[in-house]
Amino acid sequence: MSTTLDLHSHSDASEDSRAPVEAYLNWIKLRRAELPLDGIVLTEHRQFNREADYRPLEDKFGVMVLRASEVETNYGHMLVFGVNDDILARFDFANIRLDAQTLIDEVAKMGGLVVPCHPGRPNIGLCEHYETQPPLGNVVAVEVLNGGSRKGEDERSIELVRRYGYRAVGGSDSHLVSLIGLCATRFDADIRSIDGLVAQLRSGEYQPVDFRPRRKPVPHAVAVETR
Amino acid sequence: MKNFSDIQIGNTIGPREQFVSKDECRAFAHSSGFAAPRFTDDEGARKEGLPGMILPGNMSLGLLSKFVTDWIGPEGGAQLVRISTTYRVPVQPDHTLVFQGFVTHSVPEERTAEIDVWIENEEAERLVTGTATVRFDK
Repeated sequence: MSTTLDLHSHSDASEDSRAPVEAYLNWIKLRRAELPLDGIVLTEHRQFNREADYRPLEDKFGVMVLRASEVETNYGHMLVFGVNDDILARFDFANIRLDAQTLIDEVAKMGGLVVPCHPGRPNIGLCEHYETQPPLGNVVAVEVLNGGSRKGEDERSIELVRRYGYRAVGGSDSHLVSLIGLCATRFDADIRSIDGLVAQLRSGEYQPVDFRPRRKPVPHAVAVETR
Repeated sequence: MKNFSDIQIGNTIGPREQFVSKDECRAFAHSSGFAAPRFTDDEGARKEGLPGMILPGNMSLGLLSKFVTDWIGPEGGAQLVRISTTYRVPVQPDHTLVFQGFVTHSVPEERTAEIDVWIENEEAERLVTGTATVRFDK
């Protein structure tokens, strides 16, 4: 049995999103045909809400909710999966200058996994940092499909994967309810927990999947300027 | 007149196509006190590293707000009580902008609906995204 998860989403717990978790799950339930997701991973900015309990919502909507974090490093933004007490004691997620190599290495030792997200994005993506700093070691996977990508960003990420041999995942990076699940990752295995997700990201079989609708381009109008 | 009971999660708003000219952009910039070169003049905008003139953020916000209030309609029955926006890509005039939205959730106790709204360019790239709250009279 396979599992399809949106690995990157932000609820109203992040300062730049107004999307309640319940609205995300309701949206997925209503749009099952277009969004065949088994679950989402909440990756709130620079924080990890260890107390949150989404089980009642999971039961109500039949969608799994896992928790991770998006943190900021000297190589751009990164998703941290498998956050536990040891990781939270070692790293201050609010620090916007975390050392990426230390984060990747130590999180792995403590049972988690770090995945650089939207690497093709200017300023906050891995590609641009690789132009001025040496490549990072021990990177397992990077996010090559991101629902918030501008034209060319995903293509840069795909090129990065080709060049360095990283594995590829997808996530919506949704900050709006209607954008949840537009990019996701399909795993061959059945995943039921964050530990199961980390294990599959490390050594399982998976690929990014793209559910973004394609609208026909609108013709460019001919502009007439009076000035 | 729109009633809260008519609102369904997943209702679409738009799409609406609207051409925004450089003249309109300049007029907005001058009338609102934002007459910086990037809003009024291609050369001035390029000197600031932009591809050409761009719409002031408040103009995009205003266009998105009007998109929502046009959806409410002239008969009223509801009010736009809040809108928040994220500016992802500069919006350039002399382009056809596409406005779209989805009703994503509602709060029956408050008779409010939350609506995702956004502006796209001709190639369907999302330039500005936002969330609007509409409160219904009944």
